[in-house]
Amino acid sequence: MQGNGFKVGAVVFFLALSAWYLFPSLQGISLNNRLEEMGQEERTDYERENYSRIESIKEKSLNLGLDLQGGMHTTMEVGLRELLVQLAAERRDDAFDQVLATADERSQEEGISLIDAFVEEFERRDPDARLSRYFRSETITRRSDNADVTDYLRTQGTDAIERAMQVIRNRVDRYGVTEPSIQTQGSRRIVVELPGIDDPERVRRLLKGTARLEFRLMADPGELNSSLQRIINYYEVDVAAESDSVEVPAEEDIAEEADTSFDVSQLLAETEGLDDVGNPLLDVLIPAGQGSVVFGEVSVQDTATFNMLMADPDVQAMLPRDIELLYDANPSGTGGAEYYPVLAVNMNAELTGDVITDARSDFDQTTNQPLVDMEMNSEGARVWSRLTGANVGKNVAIVLDRVVYSYPTVIGQISGGRSQITGLASQEESDDIVTVLKSGALPAPVEIVEERTVGPSLGIVARRSGFMSLLVGLSIVALFMIVYYRGGGMVADLALLINIIFILGILAGFNATLTLPGIAGIVLTIGMAVDANVLIFERVREEQSTGKTLKASIDGGYGKALSAIVDANITTFFVGIILYSFGVGPIQGFAVTLMAGILASLFSAIVFTRIIFDYVVIGRRGIVNFG
Amino acid sequence: MRIFENTNYNLVGSRKRGYAVSGILLLLSLGAILIRGLEIGIDFRGGMEFVVESDEILEVTEVRAVLTPVLETSPEIKTYSDVGAEGQDALLIRTASEGETSEVQMLIIQGISDAFPDSNPRVIKTDIVGPRFAEDLKRGSFYAVLGSLLVIFLYVMLRFEWRFGLGAVAALFHDVLITLGVFSLLQGIMPFSMQIDQAIIAAFLTIVGYSLNDTVVIFDRIREYTNLFKTEPYKTVVNRSVNTTLSRTFVTSGTTLLVVATLFMFGGEVLRGFSFALIIGIIIGTYSSVFVATPVVVELYNRSGSAKKAGQR
Repeated sequence: MQGNGFKVGAVVFFLALSAWYLFPSLQGISLNNRLEEMGQEERTDYERENYSRIESIKEKSLNLGLDLQGGMHTTMEVGLRELLVQLAAERRDDAFDQVLATADERSQEEGISLIDAFVEEFERRDPDARLSRYFRSETITRRSDNADVTDYLRTQGTDAIERAMQVIRNRVDRYGVTEPSIQTQGSRRIVVELPGIDDPERVRRLLKGTARLEFRLMADPGELNSSLQRIINYYEVDVAAESDSVEVPAEEDIAEEADTSFDVSQLLAETEGLDDVGNPLLDVLIPAGQGSVVFGEVSVQDTATFNMLMADPDVQAMLPRDIELLYDANPSGTGGAEYYPVLAVNMNAELTGDVITDARSDFDQTTNQPLVDMEMNSEGARVWSRLTGANVGKNVAIVLDRVVYSYPTVIGQISGGRSQITGLASQEESDDIVTVLKSGALPAPVEIVEERTVGPSLGIVARRSGFMSLLVGLSIVALFMIVYYRGGGMVADLALLINIIFILGILAGFNATLTLPGIAGIVLTIGMAVDANVLIFERVREEQSTGKTLKASIDGGYGKALSAIVDANITTFFVGIILYSFGVGPIQGFAVTLMAGILASLFSAIVFTRIIFDYVVIGRRGIVNFG
Repeated sequence: MRIFENTNYNLVGSRKRGYAVSGILLLLSLGAILIRGLEIGIDFRGGMEFVVESDEILEVTEVRAVLTPVLETSPEIKTYSDVGAEGQDALLIRTASEGETSEVQMLIIQGISDAFPDSNPRVIKTDIVGPRFAEDLKRGSFYAVLGSLLVIFLYVMLRFEWRFGLGAVAALFHDVLITLGVFSLLQGIMPFSMQIDQAIIAAFLTIVGYSLNDTVVIFDRIREYTNLFKTEPYKTVVNRSVNTTLSRTFVTSGTTLLVVATLFMFGGEVLRGFSFALIIGIIIGTYSSVFVATPVVVELYNRSGSAKKAGQR
């Protein structure tokens, strides 16, 4: 018994440590119960009075994964490809695009950094070529060698991710989520975890929004109109020519006629008269009337087809010079029959969001519609004043992330740099735009590459089923051990209980998160944890059957079982390490509890049960029955 | 209470029967995998999964008919049990669509509420994996599996000798292949999702760890008895080792099976495929420790042993 002082000390120490780490979680549970019993008012008062205490308990409590409490997990990727394009700017050429495309493919297939793949691919193509052909900065000149440029690109890449993370953190903070977690993963990904989110769609928009605000002039209505008719005719001819080539002369007639004066209804009538094939463009587009900056309207279901039809390079060439088509943010019509206006705006922006110094969510005084008020800096105000002064009577499109929010007609010159975004669907939307405008623009577009959301009700169900399996699994195994090993089984069950306290203590101590797969890991360890004791007890029984005393049998059992226990557990522990390093999210949760379980069960089975047996058998000359 | 106390089954002698059983199981599994294939989950091929809860019970086939034109592709739809507040079932809708999440979600909700006006559908869970991310998950899992097998092989080689290493790894391949075969055979038949995803890979690695655990305990005893009973033939020593550890083998498998079955029953839909893989794996893993790993060691010993004798003469 004397030799056990150290072991007893270790058990007491680890138990105390686990209790220390688990205490806040227990406090948290009792706090939640108390809060739930209170009325609404009482609760708010209580929360205000004990704010710092509640926060500290929450922070130190065992974290529950999003699958157990509901919430949203997204992995976002920063578009390094777009970043490279931005950095190269006007120096980019066909060779650049080709190298970039190959590099992008390679980086995806081989899982290497895009920047490294780009440099490698570039040098492979032409070992003597200089990267400085495409990239310039304060430190990079025409003479800089490729190694310097590569360093510069890498720095730009990491900077972009850091800035993106900052911007996303700002946005999440402004949105208001309790205990959000924002971390980088690898070289180009950001993982955002938001507990208790009830509107994932809004969050998605908020996270992804690049908030590229632009003020652009719009197409000349007359010019737009003739392009529209040319494009309609293009598709008319195309289809008719395929169906029947004899009618080609008639087509030309129409084309000529259409060139001079345009009337959609007339054209439609003639089309119907010609054949029943129809015009693929007119199937999806309701063309706008004359004298408008609107190209036409497209139904929600048809946007993909329309985009495809308009992507034809020949069609693109028919649009007025430097004009592109963008969708309006607000559809006309409702409930499945929504039509999105397609607007013709200049490709180049007159003013961009960088000039915005302040933004505020507000309501229109007459119509009570939500809007965003913006203020510009002096440079922006000067350009805005000149722009509005020179374009009275014309439309200015206010474009956010390539969607037109409004295109008011300029009534008079605006000085002082004030502007507004109207045409917003709700106050939520105006609030979100303000959030995005004020938290800064993302350095490069981000893409959501993985998203997992769990509703709060489902979280409760998962918590309940996790707890249930833990309880049932534990009881069944405990019962079995007592039935099978009698007194020894009871000791093993005690060890099992301590084992679970240790596992939870380790999780809380390392600030790990408990997920449903994590609970599965604990349940599985319960089954495997008794294994160490089973090995020992079987050995003890073997020793007893050779006629040894109880003390000698216990000694022999522990001594001889040790190598098997260690060998068997180390291999499973290795698997845990590998799962942890290659897995993501929930799998890591499983790996952590599996490893914690192995450590805890080794300790409780080898050290703890031995102390008990020594105490009972040697210290008090008692008897333990091994069944 | 005692089971398998002082047994003396001629397990090593009847190993040929074990080979036949394993051979048939392996052939069936390989055949199933080659012919029926494996259902790969969205983790590894990309896609979207929505769990939709509704006020009235919706028929899978009807919902599929409604959603196919809306999504322009036929979605996979399954019932998703025990999620609703009142315990009613929800639907798991899986589509390969690559559009915007919000848009696809809106199409699904719109489509269902148009066709079933009283259903009030709402999305309570989404899993979206982009193709690029899926590629990374696939690569990660591949390395995880490869790494585990390698580490295990090296460890067993270091702690035991090469014959044991080979025996253990043979048993691991045997276990994983047969579990995969069972998945391939039963997919679509069982009422829960049996797709190969991250969780299943974790389950496989756990099976690998467990099967090894079991094998190592027997190997440990063989190592001990080989030194203890030097005069007896190797086969007898191995047979005695297997027999003395048999009781432990069954007790541990039993307790582990009990907890895994508990997980299967009470752990909810998310863990069902995972715990099912573990159930199969633990049964096969226990069997393979006795009938695959150990016989391989005996065969290898016989060969190299007789070669040594031949060399001495």
